[in-house]
Amino acid sequence: MSISSQPADDGRELIIHIQGRFDFSTHQAFRDAYQNVSVTPRRYVVDLKEATYLDSSALGMLLLLRDHAGGDDADIHLINCNADVRKILSISNFEQLFKID
Amino acid sequence: MSDAHLDSAVLATLRVVMEDEYPVLLDTFLKDSEERVRLLHQACAVSDAYLLRQTAHSFKGSCSNMGAPLLTELCRELEDSARREQLDGANELIGQIEREFAIVRILMRAERQRFGASG
Amino acid sequence: MPLRLTILIAEDNPADRMLLSTIVSREGHRVLTAANGIEAVSLFRQERPQLVLMDALMPVMDGFEAARQIKALAGDELVPIIFLTSLAENEALARCLEAGGDDFVAKPYNRIILAAKIGAMDRLRRLQATVRQQRDLISRQHQQLLREQEVAKAIFDKVAHAGCLDAPNIRYRQSPLALFNGDLLLAAQTPTGRMFVLLGDFTGHGLPAAIGAMPLAETFYGMAAKGYSSSDLLREMNAKLKRILPVGVFCCATLLDLSFDKRTVDVWSGGLPDGYLLCANGTRVPLKSRHLPLGVLEPEAFVARFEPHTLAEGDRVLLLSDGVVESCNAQNELFGEARLLAVIDANREPLRLLEEIVEALLAFHGQAQDDLSLVEIDVDGQPGPMPIQASYVGAVQPSPLDWSGSLLLRGETLRDYNPLPALLHLLLQVVELRRHAGRVFAVLAELYANALEHGVLGLDSALKVDADGFARYYRLREQRLSALRDGWIEIDLRVEPEDHGGCLRIGVRDSGAGFDIARALAEQPATGKLSGRGLALVRELSDGCAADADGRGVSVEFRWRREA
Repeated sequence: MSISSQPADDGRELIIHIQGRFDFSTHQAFRDAYQNVSVTPRRYVVDLKEATYLDSSALGMLLLLRDHAGGDDADIHLINCNADVRKILSISNFEQLFKID
Repeated sequence: MSDAHLDSAVLATLRVVMEDEYPVLLDTFLKDSEERVRLLHQACAVSDAYLLRQTAHSFKGSCSNMGAPLLTELCRELEDSARREQLDGANELIGQIEREFAIVRILMRAERQRFGASG
Repeated sequence: MPLRLTILIAEDNPADRMLLSTIVSREGHRVLTAANGIEAVSLFRQERPQLVLMDALMPVMDGFEAARQIKALAGDELVPIIFLTSLAENEALARCLEAGGDDFVAKPYNRIILAAKIGAMDRLRRLQATVRQQRDLISRQHQQLLREQEVAKAIFDKVAHAGCLDAPNIRYRQSPLALFNGDLLLAAQTPTGRMFVLLGDFTGHGLPAAIGAMPLAETFYGMAAKGYSSSDLLREMNAKLKRILPVGVFCCATLLDLSFDKRTVDVWSGGLPDGYLLCANGTRVPLKSRHLPLGVLEPEAFVARFEPHTLAEGDRVLLLSDGVVESCNAQNELFGEARLLAVIDANREPLRLLEEIVEALLAFHGQAQDDLSLVEIDVDGQPGPMPIQASYVGAVQPSPLDWSGSLLLRGETLRDYNPLPALLHLLLQVVELRRHAGRVFAVLAELYANALEHGVLGLDSALKVDADGFARYYRLREQRLSALRDGWIEIDLRVEPEDHGGCLRIGVRDSGAGFDIARALAEQPATGKLSGRGLALVRELSDGCAADADGRGVSVEFRWRREA
């Protein structure tokens, strides 16, 4: 598992890359990925291209990011979701809270 | 003094380790060794290979600690033959041990005179 | 420099013993000496030294036997034993190791090597002691955790089983520690004879996952017993969880609202895998998650919209936690929906379905899963209105036996407000009525629903001839309700004492056009028809029932005799 983040678009966007299992063990790393950054992005992109697995704790962590990014005003995109990840997101109806591409 | 009988370097180390107790250690060794020699004769007389081996082993250990290389070597030979239960040459070996011990005893008493007031 | 240790020296040769003990005490240790194995063992017993220097060949008891006994006495504490022997003999060396020896020192003794070996053994001994302490600490904490979980589970089971999980039409399977994987299963009968079933799954594991179950269960049972509707209940559960849970913790849940006499089930599902309506005719209707889980949305944004389904005799509803389909085996394969559906399709004896699913999971994983929750509800065998549990309706007070009251609900109040829980609460102040609460409430709820739907909203129950019409009826109901501006419903309650008992009269009138209630009351309900059961129920459950002449109101009576 590894989680990294990089600013884009002159710091207006933060891209968070998830590699491997996205579950409770990545809790701290995921928080660090958006809390320990110098920029204040308007938009967050979580790239799940290399995420192999996602559980309900990961859904909870996404909600924490949403809260951090302004709650109902948050602009968060979940991109490159594979079929399994998409299924879990859709069972929980997270498309109501996140933009899933 | 010949180091083949009593190694002066070993004695020097023992003096450092034992400090005031050095003469007591020499006395203890001599007294115990006389007892070992007596036991060797006794074991040989009744052909008790186990007692012979154990006595030779213990004697060998203290001889090596006290810096008596020839005596150590003779004890090792005796221990080996007793382990192999070959008691034919035992009497001869014990005689050699007794003679070598007599030399070591003289040398050690001289050492005792030089370094110890007690006893 | 190692700390001061107590070291036992077992050596039969007095000169060697003296030399060795002098060397060791000059290193700063406390020395105990023994001349043979028996002395060594007994000194060990008395003084519990931390390290032993042991000659192998000794009279009386040799070093091998003494080492074995000392190791046995030391138990799981590491007491290093260093054998004093020359390494020349392989056989003796092997015996030393077999007897539990940890190291060797050959004669003649070398002070520096001896000190180094004692130091190394002491480090090993302390490392082992630390590991042992930590092991014991972990073990103690684990034991405590298990005890705490047991107590927590016992308390929770009391709350969770306050309902009707043991009803004959409910079957369920839950792993013993499912609660600590966030699973909870609740079932309650409402005063009107409906049944609410909730399967929930909190995020996370352990105590944090279990802790939210308690307030949720309390809310569920409390509101179900007080006669709140399932949408009221759902809204309250969501609001409560949103209020108390930290962001990122939520509860995936499916709530069923079953009406046995009307043969309907209303389903709300947020975040759980598909449940299934298993029809007696072999068809399988998935009950899909269409909402965000409970505790995510603010109360204002939360929509408690249920999906209505009609039921036929022999139909069953099956709900499962994600521990069923989303569990992985050792090869990292998911059990998955396809395997589940295969088990469901292969099922021949309905009563064995849950068992067959559990068996299939066991075969797939090779071991029992600890986050498994399954529940199946038969729609047959209507349990009937339940007696109200005193624990949820408040303490006993002197009973008011001679009073009357009237409630007039107008316009928008009719759209948003459900007056039934408040009315039930009021009626339950009459202690004598509590035994009859089930039927009183069922009748009151029926009369109110009729007044609202047929009277105020002008819906025609003839629509409900088949499943399609039923769905159309509910769509229309929602439309008209949201457009409602005028209209009223009046509810009269009158409690009077009588000789040897008392009487409750309930009158419900509405602003609708009125219809031939008298005829509807006289009609026998046609079997298989989705409408018409309501008024038959009223007639059956009350002790007297009459329609107003204008067809805009109904009055019913309940009589009771005072217990001796």
